[in-house]
Amino acid sequence: MLVDLLQNTLDGVAIGASYALLAIGFTLIFGVLRRMNLSYGPAIMLGCYAATWTHLEFQAGLLALALVAVGATVLAGAYVERLCFAPHRRGSAIAAMVGSFAIWMQLEEVATLALPRHIYPFPVLVEAAPLQFGGLFLPRDAIVSIGATLAACLLLHCLLYRSRFGIAVRAAIDNPMAASLAGINLSSVFVRVFALASAIGGVAGYLIVATHGQVTPMLGMWSTLKGLLAMMLGGLGSLPGAVIGGLALGILESHSQWFLGPQARDLVAYLLLFALLAARPAWMTRWTTTRSAS
Amino acid sequence: MDDYTIGVLTNIGLFAFVALSAYLLLITGEMSFGQQAFFGVGAYAGGILTAIYGLPLPLAALVAMAFGALAAFLVGLPTLRLKGLYFAMATLAAAEMARILFELFHFQVEIDGELTGPDGTQGFRGIRWVFENGIEPAEYVALVYALLLVVLIAFLLVERSRLGAVLRSLGEDPELAASVGINVNRMKLGVAAVAGGLAALGGVLYAHHNTYIEPRNFDIMLGVHSLAYALIGGLGTALGPLLGVALDVGLLDGSRIFGGARMIAFGGLVAVLLIFRPRGLLDESVVHWFRTQAWRRT
Amino acid sequence: MAALLAVRDVVTAYGKIEALRGVSLEVQEGSITCLLGPNGAGKTTLMFTAAGILRPRSGSIQFAGKDITSRPPHAIVAAGIALVPENRLVFPNLSVQENLRAGAYQRGDGMEIEADIERLFHRFPRLRERASQNAGTLSGGEQQMLAVARALMSRPKMLLMDEPSLGLAPLVVEEIFRIITELHRDGTTIFLVEQNAHMALKVAQHFYLIEQGKVTFSGDPGSLAEDEVISRAYLGSARQ
Repeated sequence: MLVDLLQNTLDGVAIGASYALLAIGFTLIFGVLRRMNLSYGPAIMLGCYAATWTHLEFQAGLLALALVAVGATVLAGAYVERLCFAPHRRGSAIAAMVGSFAIWMQLEEVATLALPRHIYPFPVLVEAAPLQFGGLFLPRDAIVSIGATLAACLLLHCLLYRSRFGIAVRAAIDNPMAASLAGINLSSVFVRVFALASAIGGVAGYLIVATHGQVTPMLGMWSTLKGLLAMMLGGLGSLPGAVIGGLALGILESHSQWFLGPQARDLVAYLLLFALLAARPAWMTRWTTTRSAS
Repeated sequence: MDDYTIGVLTNIGLFAFVALSAYLLLITGEMSFGQQAFFGVGAYAGGILTAIYGLPLPLAALVAMAFGALAAFLVGLPTLRLKGLYFAMATLAAAEMARILFELFHFQVEIDGELTGPDGTQGFRGIRWVFENGIEPAEYVALVYALLLVVLIAFLLVERSRLGAVLRSLGEDPELAASVGINVNRMKLGVAAVAGGLAALGGVLYAHHNTYIEPRNFDIMLGVHSLAYALIGGLGTALGPLLGVALDVGLLDGSRIFGGARMIAFGGLVAVLLIFRPRGLLDESVVHWFRTQAWRRT
Repeated sequence: MAALLAVRDVVTAYGKIEALRGVSLEVQEGSITCLLGPNGAGKTTLMFTAAGILRPRSGSIQFAGKDITSRPPHAIVAAGIALVPENRLVFPNLSVQENLRAGAYQRGDGMEIEADIERLFHRFPRLRERASQNAGTLSGGEQQMLAVARALMSRPKMLLMDEPSLGLAPLVVEEIFRIITELHRDGTTIFLVEQNAHMALKVAQHFYLIEQGKVTFSGDPGSLAEDEVISRAYLGSARQ
């Protein structure tokens, strides 16, 4: 029993690492631009599809595929930013969001037209057998996922707290108007944050498809839902919260699935989110700005 | 009119209900990703009432609407205090929970030697009241549009009344509304219940048109689409959501010119449209222009 | 002396409501110029229009001979104007030092930025004490110092100040005005919006009175009896 609990927790952390990255991407965009990007998951899907196509055409190595995935996601993200977010910067948050939903549809169709099958194989990160210790199994690609997530968090921390760009981003999060009064070019910050969020999303997507060994058209919707859930569970708008939310979601899902089955897995996560929102504990509503997405 | 066109027209009418449901909440300043849940509640409730309990469609529709309103009330009670994105996520969570519950819902009864009723992910077959009572597709589409017309007239009447101004004020300036004594929370709850009932009505009609429903029909895509229809068509009038649905379902489904790239075309068009008209095609300024024109002629 | 800032017939509106209905004024280089007026007269709107936060519907704003009408805020900082906004608006989750660095965002000269921070800590010793504390934990007066210091980090030719004494204790207000005088003596042009007409008139060389979106008086302190100025600054003139 204890072994089961520990194993589930371990599995949960492994998948939670990817959820954390997805949540970080959403949080960066929501925290800085104060907008919800519904094309985030689909851009990641496009990135993974581009990597899949590269694999099918060129049998490229894992590192090259990772670069393609990240690069294509960043490009797709830039397209979304220019079309759906830049024009509405001083305007309606809903218009930006619905625009990003329209582009979600567009990006998904581009991906599925290029690669129409329901499932494609994707090279697995590590072929070797899982590590074993004390009755627990730790798949090697989980180590890579967790390691990559840790590295990304570290890099992000350095960027935000030890660079000039980081000051601009954190100033924009604190008070966009004061930031522009200090001479910070908000448009330029937004573009770079979007690119950063897309790159992180690309990494998350790559880890997910390389761990599962396959790519499906559901990746877009799936990434969006998981990213949003993890972001909200961790307390909207906080980066450490995004990481905690991602890990918590992974662990919660892992245990729910073990004890209650796959449908209950999702049900429990949504139920928890709904209950948290209904109860509104203070740490959840840290984001008290009235200029939020409405 | 051929069957295909009737089918397209019927779909436009059916989805208009859930688009109007999202629109109603948007007017009062609430963005809901979850109206599809009430569409589903209406569909399942209505289907069960006619296929298993043998109720006539009109009665089943009324009861289903009540279920939808109740469900919306229960969801709204703890969540309407939440702001913007928090409320949106709460409705998303509630709707996904509803969809999963539909997947887990098994309620089958033997009717005329055949198992009838919702069967989890396998869906719910045999909602045949319309066919068993000899209603032709052409008659059904007329029924759908007759009901839609009643709803639209109700909307248009309310929009011109004080109630309509109050509802819009909830969205534009809730603090001002509260300061003149309007109980904002209670009004929003009432609006949510009405929106839920409206979506449920669409759901009942949908279930009886298709004769088969499954949980997948009521997923997030429908919810976000409804929101999109309301916004694209325009937030100035109830005709806006109808226009939004007509544009998507009618124009692009009906015309095959874009072939497999329908969403590429439509998605791009919508994004560009929103740049120039962030409150939709029939937004408040357009509606105002129409009204002043009409006034000038009298 | 040339006019550093020239505002001509500026109209700024919020939707249908015109907050500035054709404002014209000038700020002479090297002066302390003050804008007085009752609440809602348009003082903050004018500051925001000059700083690029708001776009005027018509009219023009020239700074040091260049047209800065409708330019974005970061371009206006680049041109040499810095606004210390009403209510301070420091970055609460950034440290005092980081707030200052944010003010120097457009500058590339690392060594000089550090030297400036040092100079500002010398001028505002209390900020040095709190250098690594988050700005949100500072008192109102300290935040005002920080807001001024942050604006100075961009080495502006002209400092716009919107109600710097708002919500501060009298002793702190005196300190703020002492700093304003010092800055002026060191060559910075200051355009000041104040409700505290008494203190403002003590330091200004020239003042304008704005009421309901229009400039209704322009002169130097002494050209109008002080009590009349103060009553119009708080209440608007009796004619309205």
